[in-house]
Amino acid sequence: MRFDEFTATGTGSEVLLAEKVRKSYGDRTALEGLSFSLGAGRVLGFLGPNGAGKTTAIRILTTILKPTSGRFVVDGIGSEYPMQVRSKIGVLPENLGFPKEVAAIDYLSFYGQLYGRTSAQAKAKGLALLEEVGLSKRARSPIRSYSRGMRQRLGIARALVNDPVVVFLDEPTLGLDPRGQRELLELVRRVARRAGVVLCTHSLSEVEGVCDDVVILSSGRVVASGTVAEVIGIATRSTDGRRVIRIHVPNGSVEDAQRVLAMVPSVIGVTPLGEATGWVGVEMVDPNGDASVDHHVTNAILEALIRAEISVLNFEAVGGNLHDAFLQLTEGASV
Amino acid sequence: MSLDRSVDVPRVKSRRVGRPAWSIIASRELFELWVGGKAIVLLIIYSILLGVTAFVTSNNSELELIPPKELVFMTLSTAISIGLFIGLITGADSVSGERERGTLEALLLTPTSRRQMVSGKFLAAVSPWPLALALALPYLVLFAQGGDSWVQGLLWGAFVGSLLTLAFTALGMLISIWSNSNKTSMVVALVIYIAFYIPTQWAGAAQTGVTGRLFKKINPLESGNHFLEKVLVNNRTLAEFWPWLIAPVVFILLTVGVLFLFAAPRIQVDAWMGEKGS
Repeated sequence: MRFDEFTATGTGSEVLLAEKVRKSYGDRTALEGLSFSLGAGRVLGFLGPNGAGKTTAIRILTTILKPTSGRFVVDGIGSEYPMQVRSKIGVLPENLGFPKEVAAIDYLSFYGQLYGRTSAQAKAKGLALLEEVGLSKRARSPIRSYSRGMRQRLGIARALVNDPVVVFLDEPTLGLDPRGQRELLELVRRVARRAGVVLCTHSLSEVEGVCDDVVILSSGRVVASGTVAEVIGIATRSTDGRRVIRIHVPNGSVEDAQRVLAMVPSVIGVTPLGEATGWVGVEMVDPNGDASVDHHVTNAILEALIRAEISVLNFEAVGGNLHDAFLQLTEGASV
Repeated sequence: MSLDRSVDVPRVKSRRVGRPAWSIIASRELFELWVGGKAIVLLIIYSILLGVTAFVTSNNSELELIPPKELVFMTLSTAISIGLFIGLITGADSVSGERERGTLEALLLTPTSRRQMVSGKFLAAVSPWPLALALALPYLVLFAQGGDSWVQGLLWGAFVGSLLTLAFTALGMLISIWSNSNKTSMVVALVIYIAFYIPTQWAGAAQTGVTGRLFKKINPLESGNHFLEKVLVNNRTLAEFWPWLIAPVVFILLTVGVLFLFAAPRIQVDAWMGEKGS
């Protein structure tokens, strides 16, 4: 869904709604017309090249900065009440620091009290959260003894001390090893069971793996928003509805594949890619621009090859992933 | 939910059952300051400086001629100078230190007003002062040589010292709020301290005449010292010398006022965002 088609009217289950949020510093506009919605229990990926306005957007949505115009609503509370919005959100900032000599439970207890809990309540909540993020055995250890992955999990526990309805996670897997990244993304999925999550990251594979929806910013503007599949669809389809997929078949079957595929409806061209590579480019057209029709065409292509007993060694849509979509949508933006 | 339908916000406010935020923040700051050891280190240095000064004073044959009241004043003056320096640098670390360690943003993201945050930090930053004054007490008693000048010294010292320490702590916090790095904050605080302190060490000739007296009167440190000297050493009264308290009082009103009314609501993750926080 393109931004100009989007209006943040909501469907009723949204926990975060932003409409036409704008931020400028003098003549320079850092963010222009940010509008999107986040449903309860959904994970929204917030993407954009460096300097796209992600940090500004997150800082506005977390009440650290005031928007120049526009507003947002968190669980029914408007951005004109920042203190109340803060009591409804949890945030893991990108460069979160920790008091190194303090024990994790005391750290969480401190923040729990700042959200209005008594000392005993805050401690109990802290212990429950440490259990949830897998740090209960290290509850009394000073934070200086924690690894980066443990600190990130502790940061997420801190973001949850107030039972937020929206959780903002800014680059949560940055600097983690693959195992740490996997564990943290599993934790993000668990968090999403009880809150809407805004995940700000540069890792597109993370977004594809975890997010339901995505907003892509470029030069301060939303260039695409919607479900991950919708955003990939926006980028994949040319203005006249043409799409290209690549199919890898055994070298000796390329001519047969060309013949079979040329007979499939909606296929308008089949070209071998390179010399004796076995790859065939299939150009197809969907005049209606309907993603569901695309799927029918690709299914028909595969079905035709299987019927002709041609082995399909590999199959990929050109631009059919978030990485390609991101590059296409943010083309020309500073990286 | 739509943007036009927001809930009744005061309903959300009533959930707080725990302690006020300023007290929670003050507790944490006090813990970090005292259990973390920074205040202890500063007070040890203070005690050493005070002890050395007292030792030199009591062993210098020329100074033996100085009357006890003046010795009490000299000790008090040293205690106040170092005590307010502790307040200044503790204040200078309070916000920029958190900014540098990356812990400020998490604090700003809580539903705590910036003023409550500053109040908690301010209370913790001035906490070394009463102990510093208490550490000076044995020296005051010793130099009073059996007289009761130490009582008057303690009372007036507590009054003037508190005015100056609160003002310098607030000044340190202002510097800290407007500094992105702790190093900048500390250097600026040190330069300001020297700028205030050096004139108190100028020779008497430099402090006479219209300009000299004016400088002496507008420098809160010098003005406060002059007031203490006249009241403690020369037995002058408050009624006679209250104008010398104008500078410390204006200074504290100015620094504390700017801190709480202007700077505190504008604390941001980055020092120079140039706008009021939300």
